[in-house]
Amino acid sequence: MNAPIDVGIGAEARSGQAGWNARLTLGFERRGERTVLAQRRHQGPLRVQKALYPEGEDVCQVILVHPPAGIAGGDDLQIDVTVGDGAKAQITTPGAGKWYRSAGRLATLTQRVVVEAGGMCEWVPQESIVFDGALGSMLTEVDLAPDAVYLGMETICLGRTGSGERLTRGSLRMETRLRRAGKTLWLERGRIDGGSGLMHSPAGLDGATVTGTLLAVGPPLDADGLARCRAIETESGQGTVTCLPGVLVARYLGASSESARRWLLALWQALRPMMAGRPGIVPRIWNT
Amino acid sequence: MLPLVRLLQLASPALPVGAYTYSQGLEWAVESGTVRDEAGAAQWIEDLLHWGVSAFEAPLVAAAMMAWEAGNAVEVQRLNEDFLASRESRELRQEAEQMGHSLVRLLRDLHEFAALPGWRARLMDLETPSFPLAWSAAAAAWQIPREMAVTGYLWAWLENQVMAAVKLVPLGQSAGQRLLARLGAHLPTLAQAAVSRPEREWTNFLPGFAMASVSHETQYSRLFRS
Repeated sequence: MNAPIDVGIGAEARSGQAGWNARLTLGFERRGERTVLAQRRHQGPLRVQKALYPEGEDVCQVILVHPPAGIAGGDDLQIDVTVGDGAKAQITTPGAGKWYRSAGRLATLTQRVVVEAGGMCEWVPQESIVFDGALGSMLTEVDLAPDAVYLGMETICLGRTGSGERLTRGSLRMETRLRRAGKTLWLERGRIDGGSGLMHSPAGLDGATVTGTLLAVGPPLDADGLARCRAIETESGQGTVTCLPGVLVARYLGASSESARRWLLALWQALRPMMAGRPGIVPRIWNT
Repeated sequence: MLPLVRLLQLASPALPVGAYTYSQGLEWAVESGTVRDEAGAAQWIEDLLHWGVSAFEAPLVAAAMMAWEAGNAVEVQRLNEDFLASRESRELRQEAEQMGHSLVRLLRDLHEFAALPGWRARLMDLETPSFPLAWSAAAAAWQIPREMAVTGYLWAWLENQVMAAVKLVPLGQSAGQRLLARLGAHLPTLAQAAVSRPEREWTNFLPGFAMASVSHETQYSRLFRS
C-alpha cells in the first residue's frame, strides 16, 4: 500500500513480537443530502484518510489503509463499520492486501458491518494475496436492516503467483456470515491448507489460484436481472451467479486476479443500478 | 435392535422424500467432462464426502440430534437456519427445503414418530425445515446412537450419489457396487470425526462443487433437479 504512514500513532499497540493489535471503528450518518463519516476511531495502524465524494454527496467513500502494508503472524486487526439510517458508504482499499508468511503465529482479521434502515454499504476491497506459509483467519460478519442494501466482494489470490509462487504450506481460514433482520442469509466457512488436496480437487479449488466472491443483498432481482448478470463473461477462468433467498452470490475461480477483478466489477456495475438505484461508476482507485 | 431397524428405514432409498431426483452437481460434472468414468466418479464423490458432507452436514446432524434430545428449540432453529444459509446454490437450497418438507409431512402422519410425547408438535414448530434437521428429529426420537445415525446419514448420501453416477456416467451395476464398497469403507472414520468436530471447524467451502451446482441451474438438458 502506498498511503502515507502516520508514524508514531498506534506504536503503543505493538507489544514486542506480539504483532499489531489494531482496531478501526467507522460510523456513517445521513445528514440531509449528505452521508458523513461521523465517527472515526482507531487504535494501531489501521485507518482511513478523509471522506471522499467521487459521485456527489449521497455516497461517502473511504479508503482503508493499513500502513504496515500487510498482515503478519500475530497481528489482530478488527474493523467495525456502522452505516446509519439512510446513509450510503463505499469502503475500498488502495491496493492488494497481503497475508505475509508466518513464523508460526496466527494472524486474524475481523470485519463487522452493520447497515441500518434504508442504508447502503459497498464493501469493495482489492484482492488479498496470501503468501506461501501465511497463517490467517478472516471473519466477516454483516448485519443488515430488512431494507438495507449490501454489495460486498472478496478476492483471494493464493501465493504470489506473479513470481510463480504457490501456496504449498500455511493455511487460511475464512468465515462469512450475512444476516438480514437477524436471520442468516448466507454462511460460508472454509479452510484452505497450503498444498492440500482441496486445492487441486475439481470439487475444491480445481487448481485455481484465485477465488472471488460477490454477495449482493437488496431489492429482489427479477429473472431478467439475473440473466443480465449471467450474460457477463469472464476473460479467463470460470464465473457463476446464483440467486438464493435474499442474496445473490457470484463466484470466480481461475488463475488471474485481473480477470477476477474485471468480472466482479462488471457484475457490480450491472447490479448497482438494480440494487442501489445508483449508476455503476467504478471507483477511480480501481482503474489501475 | 430397534434403533438399527429405524436407522435402516431412515437411510433407505425407499424413504419417500425424492432424494433420487437430486444429483447435487454431479450431472453438471458429467456434462462438463469432469467426471467421465468410474475413477472420475469415485474421485468426485470421495472429495465431496471428505470436504463437503462429512465436514459440515454430518457434524450438524449430530449437533441437531443433541438439540432435539435436549428439547432445545432455539438451538434446533439456529442449526436449521445455518444449514439453509450454507447451501451454495438455488438448487441445493430448494433440495434441502423440499426434502425437509416431505420428511416432516411423512413423520407428522407416522404413528411411531407422532405418538411419541411432544415430538410431533416440536417438529411442526420448525420454520422452513431443512432435510438434515427433520431427519435428526426422527433419529433422536427413535434413540439411534448419534455416531451410528451419522454413519447411516452418510451412507444414504453416498448411495444416492453412486446411484446418480450409475445413471449419468453411465456405469454398470457392478461398478456402482465397487464404488459403494470402496467409499463406504471411509464412513466409520468420517462419522466418528463428525460427531466430535467443533462447530468452528464445520466447513462448507468447496467452490468447484458450488459452481457445478450453479451451472446445473442453466444446464440445457437434464435428468436431475440438482
